Amino acid sequence: MKQKLNEILTNGLAEIEKSADLKELDEIRVKYLGKTGELTQILRGMKDVAPEDRREVGSLANSVRESLENGLSEKLANLENAKLMADMEKEKVDITEPSKGVKKGALHPLTRFNNKFMEICVEMGFSVIQGPEVETDYYNFEALNVPKNHPARDMQDTFFISDNILMRSQTSNMQVRAMEKMKPPFKIVCPGRVYRNDSDSSHSPIFNQFEALVIDENIGLKDLMLMIKEILRRLFGENVKMRVRPSYFPFTEPSIEIDATCQMCQGKGCSLCKGTGFSEVFGAGVVNPKVLEMSGIDSKKYSGFAFGPGIDRSVMVTNKIPNIKYLFRNDIRFLKQMR
Amino acid sequence: MKVSYNWLKDFVDLSDLKPQEIADRLTTSGFEVEDVIYLNKHLHDVYVGRIEKIEKHPEADRLVVCQVNVGNRNVQIVTSATNVFEGALVPVSLDGADLANGIQIKPSKFRGVLSDGMFCSGEELGIDDNYIEGASVNGILIFPKDFVAGTKVEDALLLNDVVFDINVTPNRPDCNSVVGIAHEICALYNKKFKEPELSYKTCGGNVKDYVDIKIMTENCSRYCGAYVKNIKLERSPLWLRSRLFGVGIKPINNMVDITNYVLIEQGQPMHAFDYKYLDGHKICVRQAKKGEKIAVLNGQTYNLDEDVMVIADQNKPVVIAGVIGGVNSCIGADTTESVFECAVFDLKSIRLTAKKFGVRTDSSARYEKGVNINTPSVALKRALNLVDKLGCGQIVDGIIDQVNSKQKIGASEKISLSYSKVLKILGVSIAKEKVLQILNGLGIESQINGDVLTCVPPYIREDIKNENDVAEEIIRIYGYDVYNNVEGTMFENSSITIGQYEPRLVVENGLKNILVDMGFYETLNYSLYSPTAVDKLLLPENDERRKVIKIANPISEDLSSVRTLMAHALLLDISYNLSVGNKDLRLFEVGRVYQPKELPLKELPVENNRLSIAVCESGYDFFQLKNVIENLLVSTSLDYTLERSKEPYLHSGVSADIIAKDGKVVGWFGKLHKQVLKNYDINQDVYYAELDTDYIAGLPEKKYETKEVSKYQAVERDIAVVVDEKITNGELIAAIKSASGKHFYEVNLFDVYRSDALGKDKKSMAYKIVFASEEGTLTGDEINSAVNKVLKSLEFRFGAKLRQI
Repeated sequence: MKQKLNEILTNGLAEIEKSADLKELDEIRVKYLGKTGELTQILRGMKDVAPEDRREVGSLANSVRESLENGLSEKLANLENAKLMADMEKEKVDITEPSKGVKKGALHPLTRFNNKFMEICVEMGFSVIQGPEVETDYYNFEALNVPKNHPARDMQDTFFISDNILMRSQTSNMQVRAMEKMKPPFKIVCPGRVYRNDSDSSHSPIFNQFEALVIDENIGLKDLMLMIKEILRRLFGENVKMRVRPSYFPFTEPSIEIDATCQMCQGKGCSLCKGTGFSEVFGAGVVNPKVLEMSGIDSKKYSGFAFGPGIDRSVMVTNKIPNIKYLFRNDIRFLKQMR
Repeated sequence: MKVSYNWLKDFVDLSDLKPQEIADRLTTSGFEVEDVIYLNKHLHDVYVGRIEKIEKHPEADRLVVCQVNVGNRNVQIVTSATNVFEGALVPVSLDGADLANGIQIKPSKFRGVLSDGMFCSGEELGIDDNYIEGASVNGILIFPKDFVAGTKVEDALLLNDVVFDINVTPNRPDCNSVVGIAHEICALYNKKFKEPELSYKTCGGNVKDYVDIKIMTENCSRYCGAYVKNIKLERSPLWLRSRLFGVGIKPINNMVDITNYVLIEQGQPMHAFDYKYLDGHKICVRQAKKGEKIAVLNGQTYNLDEDVMVIADQNKPVVIAGVIGGVNSCIGADTTESVFECAVFDLKSIRLTAKKFGVRTDSSARYEKGVNINTPSVALKRALNLVDKLGCGQIVDGIIDQVNSKQKIGASEKISLSYSKVLKILGVSIAKEKVLQILNGLGIESQINGDVLTCVPPYIREDIKNENDVAEEIIRIYGYDVYNNVEGTMFENSSITIGQYEPRLVVENGLKNILVDMGFYETLNYSLYSPTAVDKLLLPENDERRKVIKIANPISEDLSSVRTLMAHALLLDISYNLSVGNKDLRLFEVGRVYQPKELPLKELPVENNRLSIAVCESGYDFFQLKNVIENLLVSTSLDYTLERSKEPYLHSGVSADIIAKDGKVVGWFGKLHKQVLKNYDINQDVYYAELDTDYIAGLPEKKYETKEVSKYQAVERDIAVVVDEKITNGELIAAIKSASGKHFYEVNLFDVYRSDALGKDKKSMAYKIVFASEEGTLTGDEINSAVNKVLKSLEFRFGAKLRQI
């Protein structure tokens, strides 16, 4: 009897070991542990074993059953695992094949630049506002200290609609609109389109400016310079250098132009910056007290600064756009490069 | 404004300053030098030579060999020129010369005979007959006999000069002159200004006996005149011609050259009349009368009216004041007596007149920028000084000086300012002594007592009125470099403000990002378009959007109207992309349309912000576009329904208007009308959509409020019903929803099927209805009963028949 049990154990384990699939393994289970299985029959025949041996044989039979059951479940796990591995192997793909589904599009480079610029300014406490592009002569010129027939009008070629209505030639119209509407202290930026009767290889009749205005007590050139420095750093990186030149705008006094390291050549000198390593980025200045007074702000108490860069050129250099015409041509081959 | 280095030297000592250095310093102080032109750039290695001997070339009939003395040595020149002769003084370019027409000189052999260089024509030196006689002949320039062999040609011709082209800003009209720039240089380098020579001899008499001058218009504030007789009209001396040549003015004759010289040097436009043509010997400054005409020096004849100011004699206009002289009284070969004019005209009046006739002269350009009321008397004296110096006539005693202004001549206004405010504007500390040095150096007599800064600007400086003006003067001379390394905190002494975005920008950005995620590319388009756009987009005659604002001075027909429609631009983009072979286009634009209330425009138009979308992609259909719209709008709180679109440029059967709860059409989408595609040369289907982002931005922010979800599994039932073609999905869905009872959860169309077997104009619509309960799992009976109710309702309302799936 004992010998028989040992044989069952040896044969059973060997067969389990040899079995190659789940079906075979199940047949082995039935053969030994099934209702009519070899071990089952032995256990059923225990009544024929001498009572003094029963305990020993019983214990052996149980241990054989346990060993077989363990063997079976271990093998089962192995076989199941092997099957999963085999199934997965069949699903193997060529990972270099193209992806499926909708491919992301892209924002226009100007929007990306504007978004970044706005973000910087909002963090500095500026509110973003926008206003009309078809504008009255008053907001575009007169209230900015450029009366009719003033020589400063020659600085811009304006598109006129009637004697009094025009396409705004600068976002500075928003300075006046803000000053009329808002109570100091305030800080605003106004990104927007402007129009000039001027078109050649480096000018577009429609381009974009980014006006900023601060009106508060104690505002001066130092605040302006510190802010512009920070903006340049955020827009163009830590290594950007700035250069300040005096200039003239009727609505600021003092007026300045700010040049920054040319982003096309990183200051080495190129055709865009005419070899100077710098390109003009901002027109700026301290708000002319006459302009404050015209808009009903007490120039004794308040002062301010304004700046208004044209941003198309900055968008060009930061994205290495070869030609200004690309900005409005909307060639999908160009736009795709902005993904 | 062009001024030359040598000319400036008349007024300021420049011996220690190189031209480039001056140019850089002027630029950093507010006078941007756009160009530094070396007049002798092409004259190095060119000398005055005297031809000693001319012999025939042994090998060539057309060439001669010349022995030429160029000072301390002789050179041999082979030439084909025929106007040379022994003893002639000529320009000789030698080894290394680089002439104005691009020729570079090297010694070389001509048919075996060495030539050390080349004789030059006027053209090769960059000059013509106006500069020196003989310079325009077809041959070699023969110099006057008093030229000395061996002299450098640049010295002999007085072309060793450097011209600065300066961008003078409109606030500094005083610097449209050599003396103005000289004053600036004096301030920059702390130098003393040398006053111009103003003295002259007179021949007695009294100017008032010769001419009578009257100002009869508000537009003339001062008019000075002088009388010169026994005029010898001739070429000006070379020194004067070289000055005018350098700044780009053509020398004509001594009298005219003097007026131009004074214009450049003093910034005062002048005119010289031929006295004998002034009827009644009267000069009257007045507005023209309607019907008057004048033939002027540019060859045109203009009809005048009351808006034009003229200088007239007793009978007729003789000059369009400040703009251009008439041919009836100008200096000519027979002029023997002349009246000089130095006047101040209103800049607006001159500007309007110059614009009206489209004539822009050196004179009008100066007047438009503003001529100071103090300038005419100085300028006139300077002109008379030159008349005397050049010996071109006799000056009658006296100057007529008519003033028609409240402004005092020669008076400076004293202003009192807050010194601390000036410092606040600057924000950097500059020593008080330095401030005073700068201001006084600029001729602004200044004192500081406590906080009071007292300034007396020179009378020529009308731009200095307040603290800001003075701050600018200080810092532009002190140098803006001080800010390059400025440290500290911005807005240190000011308030804290909270930054925020205009709400529409936030909405637009959200929509843009959704589109980008769905594969769209953002475009940027001109908001000006061709007036034909409204036709190409099939707008009916009564469509409001046909009211288009027109630009009065457009750059081109294509950019002559302010757009009232977004679709045009994206269609042009698609057309362009297809034309260069680009495919699969998903584009959008965020922009504006500008709708006037009435034309001609009386008030500003409504500027409405829009999002426009266009797709041109094979296999794309209406429902894909609808999905885009739904994905965009689900991010907003817009409650909307769809109706068949009324947009004329959309395909009427494959398009929808988006209607807000208040009935407003806030957008539309669909396939483009086939005629529109033709109009834009697009040969495949395009899907287009537009949303009113102003309307959407005006909606309350979308609130997300959630409900409990059932813990029991939902049960799905599929039904398919056959209905008439005209019954819409929308109607069926609504009916299903209302008939499904309290456990209805959702319903979705999952198939539409048409076949002959179903019958003509019939379709099968298959729906998945989902039932769910929060109280427990639904039983089969409950669901069957609900489905039966649905089917009965559909049959009753639409004649729908159940189709076995």
